[in-house]
Amino acid sequence: MTATATPATRPQPAMRGLAVRQVRRGAVVVTAVCAGMSALVVVGYRADALDPAAVAALARNPAIRTLFGDPVALDQAGGFTVWRTGTVLAVVLGVWAMLAATRITRGEEDAGRWGLLLSGRVTLAEAVRHHLGVLAVVPVLVGAATAAAMIAAGAESTGSVLHGTGLAAVGLFFVAVGGVGAQLFSSRSAANGAAAAVLVVGLLMRMVGDGVPALAWLRWLSPFGLMALTRPFATGRGLPVVVLTCAALLLLALAGWLAARRDVGAGILATSDSRPARTALLGSVPAFAVRRTMRPLAAWSAGIGAYFLLLGLIARSMTEFLTGNPQFAAMAAQAGFPALGTVEGYAATMFTLLAVPVGVFVSVRLAATAADENARRLTLVLAAPVTRLRLLAAEATIAGCAALLLITLSGLAMWAGTAIVHAGLGAADALAGAWNVAPIMVLCLGAGVLALGWRPRTVAAVGALPAAGGFVWQVIADSVDAPAWVRALSPFAHLAAVPATAPAWRAAAVMAGIAAAGVVAGSIGYRRRDLCT
Amino acid sequence: MGVSALRTENLSKRYGRLLALDNLTLDVAAGEVFGFLGPNGAGKSTTIRLLLGLARPTSGRARIFDTDAADVAAAHRRLAYVPADVALWQRMTGAEVLDLLARIGPGTDTAYRDELIQRFALDVSKPAGTYSTGNRQKVALIAAFATRAPLLVLDEPTSGLDPLMELQFRQAVGVARDNGQTVFLSSHQLAEVEAVCDRVGILRAGQLVEVASVAQLRRLHHTEVAATFTGTPPDLTGVLGVDGLHEDGPAAVRFTLNGSPAAALRALADADVATIVVREQSLEEIFLAYYGQSPR
Repeated sequence: MTATATPATRPQPAMRGLAVRQVRRGAVVVTAVCAGMSALVVVGYRADALDPAAVAALARNPAIRTLFGDPVALDQAGGFTVWRTGTVLAVVLGVWAMLAATRITRGEEDAGRWGLLLSGRVTLAEAVRHHLGVLAVVPVLVGAATAAAMIAAGAESTGSVLHGTGLAAVGLFFVAVGGVGAQLFSSRSAANGAAAAVLVVGLLMRMVGDGVPALAWLRWLSPFGLMALTRPFATGRGLPVVVLTCAALLLLALAGWLAARRDVGAGILATSDSRPARTALLGSVPAFAVRRTMRPLAAWSAGIGAYFLLLGLIARSMTEFLTGNPQFAAMAAQAGFPALGTVEGYAATMFTLLAVPVGVFVSVRLAATAADENARRLTLVLAAPVTRLRLLAAEATIAGCAALLLITLSGLAMWAGTAIVHAGLGAADALAGAWNVAPIMVLCLGAGVLALGWRPRTVAAVGALPAAGGFVWQVIADSVDAPAWVRALSPFAHLAAVPATAPAWRAAAVMAGIAAAGVVAGSIGYRRRDLCT
Repeated sequence: MGVSALRTENLSKRYGRLLALDNLTLDVAAGEVFGFLGPNGAGKSTTIRLLLGLARPTSGRARIFDTDAADVAAAHRRLAYVPADVALWQRMTGAEVLDLLARIGPGTDTAYRDELIQRFALDVSKPAGTYSTGNRQKVALIAAFATRAPLLVLDEPTSGLDPLMELQFRQAVGVARDNGQTVFLSSHQLAEVEAVCDRVGILRAGQLVEVASVAQLRRLHHTEVAATFTGTPPDLTGVLGVDGLHEDGPAAVRFTLNGSPAAALRALADADVATIVVREQSLEEIFLAYYGQSPR
């Protein structure tokens, strides 16, 4: 007898294939960013004029350690690269890993697509295990590619491999954190929030552990701290990375175990049952936008506020160190951190960093609008007498106002930190410094609205581009001594060092103009296109 | 003809190479309950998205009462909508969703809404994340019926409802009709359409193939006749209105009748008829014939 139907094979390979399709594009991008940036910094490194006494002074300074991590082996290209890029790349990889983990598991389940998948021979626990298993390969590839790129660029091989392993372990840890979060909570946004909280707390623990000797043990509890404790290119310890990998594997096992103990579509933590209606902020489209923004705004404020409070607390130590060691002030200037010697210069430099999370916040809020449209949640709202322009105006305005609030809170947090250590930063100066990044946030808003109007699936990426992309662009341009016009492509090149200097009003006006053009073009597209309903 | 609640003129929508809707011209009078039928992919949901201004027509136009469908600020003051696939914010309770829709919508009769919540037996204190498909559909149905908007656009509104709730739905449509509201109902449930609709339109492959009242549809269509004879059956070939002639053995024939039966009856009367069975096609058979036939 000849069978014409597809014979029943084992379903697992097909499911892994599905998972691969969902992560491959992001995996390529994150691998290219990690390997590429590491190789560029190795190549750009020049070991001229680093006096050992000055390096020792640098290593002793708590502020430097808090901000950039323990400076070890700066006399080597590899050591310098780890110090300069290690934490940033670990955060990039960690964020991507946790978002991908929740997206391909809880996100697919949320959207109802797993109902069909799980009606076959695959159990929920198997689906979770195989999806996370496929995703877990990506950090390993990222680590291997980073190590290979550093060795190829001329760094010493043992240290490069150890650094790559540490990076891979952090990525693996956040795959597992995302995976566990996706089992605990019944919605993707809650799982993302929990995983992001782990990431932010881990980062703050690393910073405090590095900066305060009495709390150095905190680093053993943080994935970023454990990665730093491996000290590649210096003492080179394997134990921390073993601890981190074991923790990641335990969490991965926990995710699989939890998945076997819950229903499809439900979370381990029960969702709140019946409750009285809370009818505040339901009266109009803008009010409803405010309602949906409050919870994320609170979470982002807590994370970014804590970070800037910490930056304020170390301000005095940092500026005193740099005033006493002019050699490092010059080095920091070359690395894109000029004028760190005064508290105003320090604040200006640190506030520049604020543009990145605030720009990402704005683009994520607009992406939430796109997601609401794509999931058809907006259909009932748009069937009411609500024009698209009114909806878009409300969503964009509320996102922008929330971002301004976030900026203001960060300024106040930095001011509070400096006030506690009597660093002498005025509240008005702190607010001016924070508000100085508003044009970049507005640029992100313009880019996000443009994407919402014409390519709604790309809102998060396009919206974050001016901030995150512009920042990475500037770091790379500085590291490789790129020509001025290449640097000028990044909006960060046009920010004045407020409060150390006066604001660059003309540049701010140009950015606002570009953003306004984006908003107008995006609004036209949003009015004209078919909605995904 | 009186006021049109909904009118399309040569409405077309093209998605890339696919012509989803081809030159639809349709007029639904105010106060009418209109059934909109067609197989999957025929263009029913596309039509509704164009009527609601959620998608833009490639050509032609749609009007809600006397305003252009694209002017949603005006048009949506006079309509309420129930989508086929209701998606809600997971953490909001049913009551909160209903409150939001009432406050941004075209005006709501809250007393009637509370009555509808009772009738549809919906627990509005639960978050939408815990609702089944049917419960999410109930939220949208309650919100729409409670508006008393002059036009209700319902896209397969009962696909997730059990028979008891289906009954409630029919009653709510009846109340709407008594209030003079117009109902535009896209549905696959033929029994429901037959029970509530005055007129139906049948869409196939993007084209409107028929608009008629349910009674007209029956009349327009074949009647099946089976007869047996004591003697030799008459020769019915070529008799006006007789189709699909089929001999069941030496003394029995079957055929379908189109139009007036007079000629066929005269021919039968001349022979010795033993038994005769005349059966009207069910609505389902009529629709299946439309769904399956090639486009005109």
